[in-house]
Amino acid sequence: MVSFEHANAGSIKEAVRLLGQQDRTPVAIAGGQDLMTMLKDELVRPGLVVNLKTVPGLTEITYDERKGLSIGALATLTDVEEHPVVRAKYPALAQAAAAVGTPQIRNMGTVGGNLCQRPQCWYFRGDFPCLRRGGDYCSAAVGQNKYHCILGGDPCYIVHPSDLAVPLRAYGASVEIVGPKGKRTVSLDDFFLLPSQDVRRENVLEPGEVVTWVRVPPSDGAKAAFVKFTERGAWDFAVVSVAAVLRKEAGNGKVAGGRIVLGGVAPVPWLAGKANAALTGVEPTDEVLERVADLALEGASPLEHNAYKVPLAKTLVKRALQQALAS
Amino acid sequence: MAKKLVRSVFDFEEGFIETIAEVPEKEPEAWAPERSMRVASKGHPRVDGYARTSGDARYALDIQLPRMAYGRVLRSWIPHGRIRKIDTSEAEKVPGVLGIMTYVNAPKIRWYRDSTLFDPHVRYEGDEVAFVVAETEEALEQALSKIHVEYEELPFVLDAEEAMKPTAPKLFKNGNVRDGKPRIYERGDIQKGFAEADAVVEDTFRTQVVHHAPLEPHVCVVNWEGDRLTIWESTQATFRVQQGIASILKVPLNKVRVINAFMGAGFGSKLGIEKHTVMAALMARQIGRPVKVVTPRKDEFLSMGNRPASVQKLKVGAKKDGTLTAISLWSVGPGGAYRSGSAYLGTPAREMYKCANVRTEEYTVYVNTGPARAMRAPGHVQAFFALDSILDELAEKIGMDPLDFRMANIAEIDQVRKRPYTSKRLKEAYEAGARAIGWYERRNKVPGSGKGPLKRGLGVASQIWGGGGGPPAFATVEINRDGTVVVHSGSQDIGTGTRTIVAQVAAEELGLDLDRVSVVIGDTALCPYGPTSGGSITAASLTPAVQAAAVEARERLKDYAAAVLGVEPERVSYEPGRYYLTEDPSKSVSFEEAARKMGNNMVVTTGARGPNPKGYTINSFGAQFAEVEVDVETGKVRVLKIVAAHDIGRAINPLTVRSQFEGGIIMGMGYALTEERWLDPQVGRQVNPNLHEYKVPTLADIPEIEVIIVSEADTKANTVGGKGIGEPCIIPTAAAIANAVYNAIGVRVKELPITPDRVLRALGKA
Repeated sequence: MVSFEHANAGSIKEAVRLLGQQDRTPVAIAGGQDLMTMLKDELVRPGLVVNLKTVPGLTEITYDERKGLSIGALATLTDVEEHPVVRAKYPALAQAAAAVGTPQIRNMGTVGGNLCQRPQCWYFRGDFPCLRRGGDYCSAAVGQNKYHCILGGDPCYIVHPSDLAVPLRAYGASVEIVGPKGKRTVSLDDFFLLPSQDVRRENVLEPGEVVTWVRVPPSDGAKAAFVKFTERGAWDFAVVSVAAVLRKEAGNGKVAGGRIVLGGVAPVPWLAGKANAALTGVEPTDEVLERVADLALEGASPLEHNAYKVPLAKTLVKRALQQALAS
Repeated sequence: MAKKLVRSVFDFEEGFIETIAEVPEKEPEAWAPERSMRVASKGHPRVDGYARTSGDARYALDIQLPRMAYGRVLRSWIPHGRIRKIDTSEAEKVPGVLGIMTYVNAPKIRWYRDSTLFDPHVRYEGDEVAFVVAETEEALEQALSKIHVEYEELPFVLDAEEAMKPTAPKLFKNGNVRDGKPRIYERGDIQKGFAEADAVVEDTFRTQVVHHAPLEPHVCVVNWEGDRLTIWESTQATFRVQQGIASILKVPLNKVRVINAFMGAGFGSKLGIEKHTVMAALMARQIGRPVKVVTPRKDEFLSMGNRPASVQKLKVGAKKDGTLTAISLWSVGPGGAYRSGSAYLGTPAREMYKCANVRTEEYTVYVNTGPARAMRAPGHVQAFFALDSILDELAEKIGMDPLDFRMANIAEIDQVRKRPYTSKRLKEAYEAGARAIGWYERRNKVPGSGKGPLKRGLGVASQIWGGGGGPPAFATVEINRDGTVVVHSGSQDIGTGTRTIVAQVAAEELGLDLDRVSVVIGDTALCPYGPTSGGSITAASLTPAVQAAAVEARERLKDYAAAVLGVEPERVSYEPGRYYLTEDPSKSVSFEEAARKMGNNMVVTTGARGPNPKGYTINSFGAQFAEVEVDVETGKVRVLKIVAAHDIGRAINPLTVRSQFEGGIIMGMGYALTEERWLDPQVGRQVNPNLHEYKVPTLADIPEIEVIIVSEADTKANTVGGKGIGEPCIIPTAAAIANAVYNAIGVRVKELPITPDRVLRALGKA
């Protein structure tokens, strides 16, 4: 870890000002669950670390029938997991928060940090040639890639590590961002970037910008579920995860529409567009779920060691749908 | 106590050590199985449990000395090359840097037989390149990052089978096969054995590289006071470190003290003399300050050892009635870049099952990766996965239940040395384990026949291991004037509970409660020689020495009891807690009263471990049964239950025995299901040298564990009757899980770890 200056931001305005001082190579810290490891591995070598936790008012979680759910970026994952409204109206989000890391990580880690964390790719984290770190090529393309992406990968093959992003995107959430040029709101559909858009960044945040709030549209009684598949029982990133949010037609058992988002398969939380289209006005029979799962993985092009993610993801899509329907 | 010298042979980590040993002329009376026990054989919590959990215990990692400096090794980041140039000038300018050592300025100290302390020819990612000492850890890190090394990169080889090919890059001029040839063993006539068989199965199994991952990393603190050197070291071999460092630095043994009061596990990775300890001692002498070295977690993975991978080609044959007629094994594994741990693994094939015709051919080869080190039952853990897998295949082929097949092939004698065992309760272990898991009722008669995507199955695997220990091992017992007792032994408690069983054995013989006995352990200046803690030998080697010292101390205190009673000592007898007049037991003095009579005299006795019995082999045996649930749509294997039924002689502390089993089984589960070193094939470097991506099991993964001890004291083995269990407990776990997976899904996974991707591939789904 390199030596750096540390500043407690007293307000978002101050945080933005400090983070805008590019000559000091600033980074923001909130829960520090990702940044601390990045600092220790010297993946970041900041001159200034700006503490956001001292910014007041960003830990709240509120619900309004008209505006929907608002989650302050500094709310912890435990806050989300345990919040009664989140549990009742956005179960997939509560389930995703509960599936992150370990209790210690969830107590420290924040919602903003979870969305903006850097990838876990071992080539990115280790000292290997890596496009995302400015190198000439992606080591994962031909190296050890059993945990890498099967969709949207070229030319870098990370998977997006956030558990929360998966249900949040399925619920149609957006983030509020404050930066040197003021405030803007970005839908999660537009927030994350594919490597083909920008191989150095995972999202649209510009220097000096911070996520302040997550806004989720009002609950319309949709049925939802989040499933996360890991190799061990705790402290493991998703090999594959799926969030399914479904609206049912009144009285006839048909699905009116839905959004399926997959984690662990792509460099962004992956919206299964064709599968979602196929979910409109259908009877959710096994056959239909099977077809939806196939559509969700359409276009998957596995690397040498991760072909297993295709059948695995199909299974999880089906299970997330079944779980949502049964909820 | 009168002692004599004998020639002693004992079983240590896949090999036998022959040595001269001082043993007692007359051993204490053995604790027969029927002896009623007060303190030993009872499940006592660890005597140092509070200290260990509260932070009172001082580990090497906790040692802070005045003016202490910090040292760390700079390691090669390429897998193979020659150092062209090292430029340390930038690093030397970092404020707080006290010294830098490289092959240029370090003394040429021989290492690994074919190398030196700093070798300009680096042979793996993690090889030692420089050693830096600085005032603070911050300055140290800065300096390390400013050393510029220019390498001539050489072609490298990572895979053992590749390394055997004549075209492979050579690590040493004599080639990559260790000793230039395999180890070959033959008995009977293998061809005849296969000809006699009604069924023959041939198959290849592969296992991965795993790491020890001890909670406490490798640590040393070295401190010179004049010409006297004190070393706090996290080690399984306190005396070996003392002897090694003394001989390398040419310091007499009476000037070298090694302290190792508490340590946070080693699993075989802390059996040797560490390069960084020598570097620290050299540098500390040069700068006149104590030096502390804490190995970073990444370096633990790269350089502090591993269980080597294996390729095992097995062919086995049996008659229809279940008679095993032939076993043939060909194996190879990577020993890593230097002569350290080995990849030999043939013992189970030769010794576990009764078979007249056996041939084993084993290779250890050099590759450009971190050197292997002995790891918790080296060889056996790899071997049983393959051997017990193919045994199940053969049982199926002859239409026999796999457990019945094993029971039909219990070896009555040690087939390699052609002599009996001191004790063997393997059949009882099979039977007890089968009952506990419901083997005959619950196992799928047709593998994979369960309904739905979650399929359950049962599997069994066996275990053989040494762990009989032997002399030399010593302990002293001191009785204080208040009747309390101190036991000293230079062995160490590596987390297994040695300190507790030493106290129990002393308290048992002295008739005292456990809290009256304290134990000083792991200090070469205070304690007589105690064995290295490897090969599961500590308990069986050390406790009889403690027992002997305690018996003698009790006899010596009798003189004072007699003085209180006013009679000749010959007329006094002893029972727990008191001495009494033999002809009138109503006249007695307590242990404390007798001790008070000592005044400033002191009873100090030294006990020695008796010899091992001639003409016998001492082994532990056992079986584990696994119940698993496999999700055939995701490939996930969940272990529901492990039953461990073992013959370990006397359980000196059934509670710590249970702890050991839990630890070993969890480690075995990690081996079976999640742990794996990943190397990048292009650059030859490890991609997961951290505890996040190297996946040891978490609490959330741990199944129900039932431990059944089927044995009683083995008094032929030693006077306490215990056999070691630190390693037996891990041996069958992965094999039992693998067989249970087959029973669940009807498809065999022949490569470890059994991760979801491998299961899906085996099922033809990926």
